[in-house]
Amino acid sequence: MMKKKGLMLSSVFATALVLAACGGDDTETTNEKPVEKEGTATEDTKNDGATTAEAPTLPEEVTNDGEVIQGGTLKFALVTDTPFSGVLLAELYENGYDADIMDFMTNSIFATDGDFLITDEGIAKLDVDADNNKVTVTIQHDVKWSDGTPLTADDVIYAYEIIGHPDYTGIRFDADFQNIIGATEYKSGKADSISGIKKIDDKTVEISMTKVSPAIYSGGDGLWGYAAPKHYLETTPVKDLISSPQVRKAPVTLGAFKLDKLIDGESVQFVANEHYWKGKPKLDKVVLQVVPPTSIGEALRTGQYDMASSYPTNQYDGVKDLENLTVLARPELAYSYIGFKLGKWDKAAGDAGLNITDENAKMNDAKLRQAVAYAMDIEQVGERFYQGLRSRATSLIPPAFASFHDNTLEGYNYDPEKAKALLEEAGYKDVDGDGIREDKNGEKFAIRLASMSGSDTDEAIVEYYRQNWKAVGLDVQLTTGRLIEFNSFYDKVKADDPEIDMFMAAWGTGTNPSPLGLYGEASAFNYSRFVTPELQTLLADIDSKEAIDAGYRADAFRKWEEYMFEQATTVPMYFRTEIIPVNKRVKQYNVNYANDSMDNLHLLEVTAEDPIK
Amino acid sequence: MWKTIIRRVLIMIPQLFILSLLIFILAKQMPGDPFTGLITPETDPNVLEEMRIKAGFYDPWYVQYYNWIANAAQGDFGQSYTYKKPVADIIGARGLNTLLLSLLSVILVYLIAIPLGVLAGRYQESFLDKSIVLYSFISYAIPTFVLSLIFVYVFGYRLMWFPTSGTVDISLDAGTWEYYWSRFYHLLLPAITYALLGTTGIIQYLRTEIIDAKTMDYVKTARSKGIPMKKVYSRHIFRNSLLPIAAFLGFTITGLLSGSIFIETVFGYQGMGKLFIDSILSRDYSVITALVMLFGFLALLGSLLSDIILSIVDPRIRID
Repeated sequence: MMKKKGLMLSSVFATALVLAACGGDDTETTNEKPVEKEGTATEDTKNDGATTAEAPTLPEEVTNDGEVIQGGTLKFALVTDTPFSGVLLAELYENGYDADIMDFMTNSIFATDGDFLITDEGIAKLDVDADNNKVTVTIQHDVKWSDGTPLTADDVIYAYEIIGHPDYTGIRFDADFQNIIGATEYKSGKADSISGIKKIDDKTVEISMTKVSPAIYSGGDGLWGYAAPKHYLETTPVKDLISSPQVRKAPVTLGAFKLDKLIDGESVQFVANEHYWKGKPKLDKVVLQVVPPTSIGEALRTGQYDMASSYPTNQYDGVKDLENLTVLARPELAYSYIGFKLGKWDKAAGDAGLNITDENAKMNDAKLRQAVAYAMDIEQVGERFYQGLRSRATSLIPPAFASFHDNTLEGYNYDPEKAKALLEEAGYKDVDGDGIREDKNGEKFAIRLASMSGSDTDEAIVEYYRQNWKAVGLDVQLTTGRLIEFNSFYDKVKADDPEIDMFMAAWGTGTNPSPLGLYGEASAFNYSRFVTPELQTLLADIDSKEAIDAGYRADAFRKWEEYMFEQATTVPMYFRTEIIPVNKRVKQYNVNYANDSMDNLHLLEVTAEDPIK
Repeated sequence: MWKTIIRRVLIMIPQLFILSLLIFILAKQMPGDPFTGLITPETDPNVLEEMRIKAGFYDPWYVQYYNWIANAAQGDFGQSYTYKKPVADIIGARGLNTLLLSLLSVILVYLIAIPLGVLAGRYQESFLDKSIVLYSFISYAIPTFVLSLIFVYVFGYRLMWFPTSGTVDISLDAGTWEYYWSRFYHLLLPAITYALLGTTGIIQYLRTEIIDAKTMDYVKTARSKGIPMKKVYSRHIFRNSLLPIAAFLGFTITGLLSGSIFIETVFGYQGMGKLFIDSILSRDYSVITALVMLFGFLALLGSLLSDIILSIVDPRIRID
């Protein structure tokens, strides 16, 4: 399943007022165990190099004993403080929670592997003709929409026509999409169709592009991974789609379940889709309900839900010892980092702005930056404050990308002596003997750090790092004197606020590992503003035609990672582990990205009428 | 009286105008905008920029304000950036939820507070009185979110007497008896929480009024005429003591729509309070401004209503 969600991340994913006071005495009160609980779980850990290195104690898959019941209703908690919007069409939605809902009835036509690359296992297969910049999408099976109408090439094309439509106002008509030949002309109303998209026959679509890169297999370069039910949507003008009942109340879909009822912002009931192409689901229903992060731990403990869309890592304590569920874990598609400001974004330069690196920037000394990184005891923070659910990041490609993440990279381990040596070498010496180093000219030297506020531990963590830095003689002060609220933080970072020398932030990477969008010369998100010809070459190599070969690409990634390690302009801090508690009445569940149970919802089974308490 | 009412309504217009100007400018001053949260590395910044231009965020503020107020005057508060729906639709749906919750809460408040207030006043200094005063101080002091969390934990998760989130059980069909029962059932726990916290004012006012009234001449007269104590309380004292409560009734009625951020958040109840805080956090300008205007209007209307009600129940007060 390909996802284009993922966000500019706040320092914790969910900040919550926890039912903390109530969480401590869990063990003594869970004594009213129901009878069906004789099936104690046999946990079956799947070993998978990269991921076990992170959270060694938590499995990715669970199989429970017990007699499977006929049918049944899966209870799913959508963990959020804000209600979902209810825009249930892949082309239109912009809210991650809507994507969580659509997962149960997805219109996705491609299957993906552990690197989120498109495979031949899905509804459609992808053939890439890189030499001619053409791709062919072929529907492989007799697939029907949830209303029984067959899926055809027209539905594949209609999805493109929605995004490319002159009246489309969403975020998906982007530079990538304009890579499709004729997309711009269609958008401006000069053409009646997108000239680069051709229907070959009822099952085959050919798409011509300006260029084809390895990103095509991650659903980049303008390739769109979803079909839209043309027969159902075409009567509604594109500008009215977003408010139409076809999108909000009764979508026609391809996934294992179809929407039955929806209460705005609150809950959704799905029923089995008898037309599902992989076979009719074993469950009768899925009920999804919005649950505030404050009470999700309790809700799971008391067996109100079988599983949750996400679980706040800072409440891990609340579920780790519960007997009615198994906590599964997998690496998140995200990393936290510390970035150094080395220049400015020049809006007027280039086509739409360029990053301009300033030779005289305060932090423009690789040794200084490396020293900052070596001085941080990230492991300690991961263990103490995040219960091991954050581990020290070793590179800028998170381990979720199974074959692009390089396990052999060391990253900046905690080494204060090395930090001191580097600072001496670079000329940052303590001239006046107060324990704080002065800059190369012997002037007072203080680094200003911008950091986000979020959970109650953020303050303590930043303080801890400041002590780390002080220990090697670096005086680090907070920009504005305190932690900064999410929106203001990114406003300041984006605007290259002169009060910021370095900043702690995080990226959700999405499923395309290409770093160009975050580190390129023309990328506004390259918040370090660091650009060199070498870097440009390395980035271009990752997305070059040659890199369609996976081995070549892995190599290109490695070269880029090594370069970034040396330059230390963006220092990776944590890789994150996502935890997924699953009730023990669920027969079998897997969260491994390559065998995600969410991709095989039709196989889910339960062993009791209600979740085990 | 009508003259006064019309005058008060007319004064509301400039008041609301100033409020609208203030809230509009303040909302735009907040860092970030509705599109900030949409950013992923794969989102094209140029697309976002174009969306900002289309939404008019780069126009001078008075142009933006004019566009907004001109539409608002025709009842069109625009589209929500978050929900992609007309603001009026969202407020309508959430307003109904909040109205139901507040109505039940207010009924419960009166059911709890009036008897307690009367009893406390009548049996002043007794053990009962002291207990009631103690209760009202505790309920006044306890923060809303603490009590909500305790209640949802104890009655929702531990004892499982009540549902813990939402407004209705989705498996039921609208229109059936079970459906309405489920809606009511979902309202109960948040309404009780709300009610227990909202009784202080009424209890204290009633108690003080009754204690004062006991020494009034008209009570002495009634007693000396031989009217039984019970009747003196129910007929003479009680009615007079309700006056200060009637004075608040206008605010209570209009307050039915404002919702409670904490209770709605803890109970996962989709009402106005939560809508308000969510819209602020996501910089959903159109919803923020529409809600502040609505709340402002309700507050003004509440004070007018209170004056009118007071003039009806207390013949000594005349508005003219």
